[in-house]
This record gives sequence, C-alpha cells and structure tokens, in this order.
Amino acid sequence: MREMIITNNPLVVEKYSERVLFIDGSVEQVLIKVRDMVHRKHGLISHPLPASLRVLFSPYRSVIIGRNNGDINPLQVEIVENSILKYKKHMDVREVDKENNEDYQMIDLTLLESALKDEQVNSMLSGY
Amino acid sequence: MKLEIGRIHIKDIQFGDSTFVEDGVLTVDKAGLIASLKEDERIKDVQVDIARPGEKVRIIPVKDVIEPRVKVEGTGAGFPGVTSKTTQCGQGRTHVLYGAAVVTVGDIVGFQEGVIDMWGEGAKWTPFSKTYNVTVDIQVVEGLEVHTHEETVRLAGLRAAEFIGQAGKEVEPDEVLTYELGGMFEETAKYPNLPKVLYVEMMITQGLLHDTYIYGVNAQTILPSVMHPNEELDNAVISGNCVAACDKITTYQHQNNSVILDLYAQHGKELNFTGVIMVPEHTTLSGKLRVADYTVKLAKMLGADGVIVSEEGYGNPDSDLLMICKKLEDAKIKTVLITDECAGRDGLSQPLADTAAEAVAVVSTGNVSHVVTLPPAEKVIGNPESIAVLAGGWKGAVLEDGTMMCELNAVIGATSEIGYHNVTCRLY
Repeated sequence: MREMIITNNPLVVEKYSERVLFIDGSVEQVLIKVRDMVHRKHGLISHPLPASLRVLFSPYRSVIIGRNNGDINPLQVEIVENSILKYKKHMDVREVDKENNEDYQMIDLTLLESALKDEQVNSMLSGY
Repeated sequence: MKLEIGRIHIKDIQFGDSTFVEDGVLTVDKAGLIASLKEDERIKDVQVDIARPGEKVRIIPVKDVIEPRVKVEGTGAGFPGVTSKTTQCGQGRTHVLYGAAVVTVGDIVGFQEGVIDMWGEGAKWTPFSKTYNVTVDIQVVEGLEVHTHEETVRLAGLRAAEFIGQAGKEVEPDEVLTYELGGMFEETAKYPNLPKVLYVEMMITQGLLHDTYIYGVNAQTILPSVMHPNEELDNAVISGNCVAACDKITTYQHQNNSVILDLYAQHGKELNFTGVIMVPEHTTLSGKLRVADYTVKLAKMLGADGVIVSEEGYGNPDSDLLMICKKLEDAKIKTVLITDECAGRDGLSQPLADTAAEAVAVVSTGNVSHVVTLPPAEKVIGNPESIAVLAGGWKGAVLEDGTMMCELNAVIGATSEIGYHNVTCRLY
C-alpha cells in the first residue's frame, strides 16, 4: 500500500476502509500517531493542520501518510511537531465543537478527497 | 491595459419599485431582485433586507460580500466566466456603487461563522460595518447536495450584485480612477531604475467551502498564474470560501485588493509594478512544494527584484507562505510577507504555524485570537442560532444580558491579509 489515511472520522473509515488506520480518539491523538509515523520514516503526504481556525475546532481530522522512505525527512518532522504544538496551544483555551459533528465529518472527508486527488496526479507523474 | 473605475458615491439605501440611484441614494426593487434570484430553480426562498452603518443590526453567518457594479464600456461584463460568458475584463470602464455592498447569508454547514455588526464594538473590527448593505439570505430547495448548495448561494450573491449594479449604468460618477499598466518591457523601459516588484497572492483552494475561482475556473486546478492587476480589480476573482471569517478574501476585497491599489499608487515613483501571480494553497506537501517552486520560477522569469506575498487563511497555508519566502530569498529576490497572527489571547505566542529564518520582512494584519465583547443586537439578519456557534468555543462566553465574547477570528475581514480592514499600527 502506497499511502494510508490516519483518521478518527467514521465517514472516512466507511468510504476508505482498506486504506485507513482508525484512531478511536481525539484529533490530538491522530496528530500524535502521524508524528510517530513520520519519525518512523513514513512520508507526510498531507499537512496535519486545516486552513482556518474554525476547522481547527473540528473533532475530526484525517491525514495522509506515505510509504516508509527509509529516511527521516527533517522538514516533515518539523511540520508535524509544529502542528501539534499549535493545535494544543489553541485547544488549551477552546473546546472541541461537538455540536456540528456530522458537518465536520463531511468537511474533513471532502478536504481529504481534494488531497487524494492531488496525490493521484502526482503519483501518475512520478510513475508509481 | 487601461481600466477606469467610476465611483458613484452611495449615501443611503432604500427599497422601491425599481432599481436606480438618485442624489447618492440607492433604491432597490426588492421584489424584482427576489424574482430574478428565484429564476434559479435550486433556490426555494430569498429574504432581502438592508443594514445601514450605525444600526443595531448583526448579520450572521455571512458567506460573501460583493460590490455592486456595471460595465459601461469595453468587454468583461458581469463576472466573466461565471454570471456571463468569458470575455476579457480589466479594461474599459466600470461603474461602481461605492459604499454599497451585497452581503450573502446562509447556512451551508452548521459550524459556519462570520459576523458583521453594524454598530458599537463589533463595527470597529469589520470594514463592512461602513458599507450600506443589501443582505441576501438564501434558502435552497430540500435535498440539495452540499457542493451544489454552496454554488447556489455563491452565484446568487454575484447575480444580486449584478442586478443592483445596473443602477449605475447611466449615472455620472462622482470620481473616476484610472488604472493603467502596459507590458512589462514597456514599463521597464519607462522606469529603468526602479525595482521591479511582483505581487504574489495566495488563495485558499482546498475543497468545499475552501475555494477561489478565477474567470470561473476553480483555482485548485491551476498552476500559479500571472494576471494583470486590472483583471482582479474588475471581477475576475471570486471567493468560494466560507471559513476563516477574519482573514478570508471576500469577493469585495478581491475587487478592491489593497495590495494592488497600493502598488499602483507607487508605480513609477518608488517601484515598477510588474504584475500579479495567483497562487493556489494545496493541502498536500507535494502540492505546496510544486507551487512554491513554480512561483519562484515565474518571479525569476519576470525579472522581479522584490516580491510581496499575501496569505489567505491560517494553519497549513503558513507552510506555503514560508516555503515561498525561503525560496524567493534564496533566489536573491527580496520578499515581504503579509499575514495575520494567531498569537494567543495575550498576543505572546508564536504567531504562525511555521517559521523560517528568511522571513525578515513581515507585515502583521492583526491577532485573530484577540477577544472582543459584542453587546446583544436589536435585530439579527440570518440565523440567530449561529451566534451560539460563534460563542460556543469556551465556557462563560455568553453573559446573562446576551453580551458575548468571541475571537476576532469570527468577525468578517477583521484581520484581512491583503490589508482591506480596519486594524492598523500606531506609534507611541
């Protein structure tokens, strides 16, 4: 398997069951799993953070992880570590928005699918 | 390319039987506007209202803000490629109902925010408390798929702006502004000693509620593209972004992009404004790297001495911003970044999700985590339940009398990263 989705979003599990590593927990736990994988030489395919604060308050997050590259990528380590720090900093003073679970699941899925589409183009270009 | 913007100053707004401007008062045919919007069979119901500066009115959740305009000379009528067929915009003459705005309202998802308060503390933070707003609240037919729902509301706002903009067609403008920029070689021959400065405009392009369109093309699908600044000033760029209320670029802000206007003001004096590169923000790291490399290559091909980069959003786009900065500086192109800060309530935390030693010239447009206290409104346009979403982030955010506290994050245009907003710096 070339890439894997680390997620706590049930909607993503339903649709991509064969490519999912399900985390039965919080967004923070998803990010920590992603960090561990990056430290174990897996590539970081999609950015761990969303593009706005509002989506940062989402209870769901899906991140795409690549194959084991055989090397640790320092840029990717920095990105994932910074993302966790930033996430925790915000959530120290906020609460996860649980009122809109279904909408957050749907948005997380559509943003993930944008990334998957982009990756397909890239994988075709790079020949694997 | 030469564009004339004829500003018709709007001093008040009212409903009437037809749509016209007289002595600076804009009259809108409400029934006609609603009937026109309902031609789209996906729209079940439309509520049209007016919000004037100073009124104790809160508009929530705001989707987009659009400036009503009409093309009076040359090609590029409407929003080319979206509400009209694709023709070249950025030239000829466009009349603007200056001081008026169309504000679209409508829940697409439950967690949407985006507030405009027309009075008091809230009004200080949003530029759209000073405009005379026609609010267009769209209810769509049942069972509409969410992408189609978003598109329906987006197009309704643009069509409303076009409908109202027609009022300016025969009116003599109060002032005419001219924006003219020739080919790059031509301008460089005119100003051989001035530094060539490019504007790199980043756009959120990540999927549903996170999109931007250029001539109707979803910018998620493009490589960084060179544009003439007049095209953006003349309706080529449209917002499809309903998150990041404080720092999303509304369509109105694209139409009046402050960075472009300021670069124009210095063109031929301090610098040679060489053009605009529109840059998509992807969610994948490879997409981010591709875009950064491509942008730097274009800047080099165009011979830029300096680049100004503006970001849209916060979080993963910070990585793009700093990658572009690092690569431009490595290519010996002086780079200035414009971004807002997510620096915690006390403003003391690291402001961005990423850092780079090369980012030595950074303009901050404000701290999105700054907490503001908003008194209760006399009238709410839109969905009052959205106020709970707004304040729902932490305990104690709503006081007994209805006063609530929220972060600037929820206020439309509060920390605009293209500088179209109210926050500024003051020397002590």
